[in-house]
Amino acid sequence: MAQANWSRNMGIAVRYVILTIMLILFMVPVYGAIVTAFKSQAEVSAGGYWTPPANLAAENFERVVDPEGGNLGLYLQNSLLLTIPASFFSISLGTLAGYALGKYRFRFDGLLFIFIVAGMFLPPQIALIPVFRLMNDIGLYDTLWAVIIIHTAFGIPICTLVMRNFFQVVPNALREAALIDGANEYSIFFRIMLPLTLPALAVLATLQFTWIWNDFLWPFILTQKAESRTVMVGILNLTGQYTVDWGGQAAASLIGSLPTLFIFVFFQRYFIRGLTLGAVKG
Amino acid sequence: MLRRHPWITPASFLLLPLLVYFTFVILPTLNSLYYSFTDWVGYGADINFVGTANFEKIFTDRLFSNAIKNTAIWLALAMTAPTLLGLALALALQGKSLINTAYKSLFYLPICLSPIIIGIIWVWLYNPKLGIVNIFLRSIGQDHLATAWLANPHTALYSVFVAWAWQQTGLNMVIFLAGLTSVPTPLVEAAKVDGADYRQTLFKVIIPMLRPATVVVLALTAISALKSFEIIWVMTMGGPFNKSDTLAVFMYSESFRKFKMGYGSSAAVVLFLVTLVIIVLYFRFAAAAEELYD
Repeated sequence: MAQANWSRNMGIAVRYVILTIMLILFMVPVYGAIVTAFKSQAEVSAGGYWTPPANLAAENFERVVDPEGGNLGLYLQNSLLLTIPASFFSISLGTLAGYALGKYRFRFDGLLFIFIVAGMFLPPQIALIPVFRLMNDIGLYDTLWAVIIIHTAFGIPICTLVMRNFFQVVPNALREAALIDGANEYSIFFRIMLPLTLPALAVLATLQFTWIWNDFLWPFILTQKAESRTVMVGILNLTGQYTVDWGGQAAASLIGSLPTLFIFVFFQRYFIRGLTLGAVKG
Repeated sequence: MLRRHPWITPASFLLLPLLVYFTFVILPTLNSLYYSFTDWVGYGADINFVGTANFEKIFTDRLFSNAIKNTAIWLALAMTAPTLLGLALALALQGKSLINTAYKSLFYLPICLSPIIIGIIWVWLYNPKLGIVNIFLRSIGQDHLATAWLANPHTALYSVFVAWAWQQTGLNMVIFLAGLTSVPTPLVEAAKVDGADYRQTLFKVIIPMLRPATVVVLALTAISALKSFEIIWVMTMGGPFNKSDTLAVFMYSESFRKFKMGYGSSAAVVLFLVTLVIIVLYFRFAAAAEELYD
């Protein structure tokens, strides 16, 4: 018995040693970005890339945010002006569609559901060229609205899926009781159903915010001028301008990741729920 | 069961979402199909129908077959390495202890980062002179292995893949962990009582029970592998000598750098068809996995 315990504990110890080594390897990129961001330019060019900074310097952050420098302040603002409405609109539209598909039976409802959800799997590349042209034609090219609209539309499938699954498990008795009390369909939706959806909305808000914030392809295709540039496009431009300025690039990367890191730290539970939807039955 | 409802109410809820979805997702997709049969250059109204010329040309284009080859390598690597690593991490970190929770969080931290940022960070890691990869190789006396990872035609594609897998592994781990919560503990206990060792329990009980999660992981991995563009674009732009040029990168360069929108559309259509095959496979396997547990 003692023997078995000893070998079991050894097994656990070995497992955590291996896990710890892997974790250290895994964290090297993150560590590199953090130490480089806080180093002065002088220290970086002295060659100390992977050592901890001698003293914390804020100059990289100042340089990339400065309108005369990286101008990230403006791009951050643009990204917020894009991400918040696009998340809001896609979740709202997904909630409407999800409610119709989760709570009503009508002809071809199953087919319609598949038609909408299939959009989740579409590679955005297929729509790139026509969307580019469409936005030119309707005069929205090079505005944040073009990107907001496209993220709203491409977010509808996942939002519909999540909300439909959610509404399916909301008891029908709730709606029927309200109908008997004389409430109409829309007041049921807004007064009774919508307040119940808060947890599902939180899941979608974290997911949509993260995806839209991090997206590069759509703003890259649909915008050009600095006034409508998002933070990811701005950061990539920056690396082109200052190829050797690792400190600036690292600081920009950290700033650009802050909002999603915030979600990661404070809303992890909802974010994971969203990521694993459909992974387990039910 | 709900009774059938007059279609007016659900239709009123569906009107707006369907309108937006149709106009900005479905219509452009169909439009892309149309452009793939034209010679449009991306501006102006000069669009000529050229029949299947783009497709005939694309299948003899050496850059295209190169992109197909790279995509196939990328896909094969994507389906194996991060999947197995994600599974291993999920199994090792299954419990709810404090240390497991902390480790899990750190392993999946990369998920919340943008591929652009991941690309930028990994470009420094691979820097021939100052990158940590080569610094490490030199410090253990393996100088001959140190190379310009992203500029070397033999290593470029694989080096970018490692950066991509860094993010994907955490996502797979999260999905496998969710799958593991649906493996009934009594079943695992019963196997132990019957004298099964861990390896037997793993391969005979746990892994078969993880089938639905595995299907999801493989499908999501395949689809995101096919779509992945940003990280490659940031790190190599498909180079050197198109050695890391995948279908998604090829489609972008033909359309937006060479302004062959019609031709680029036909590449997009091919990409779409490959994805479609995976979606169909996914729904078949997902359905089969569901039946297994019903």
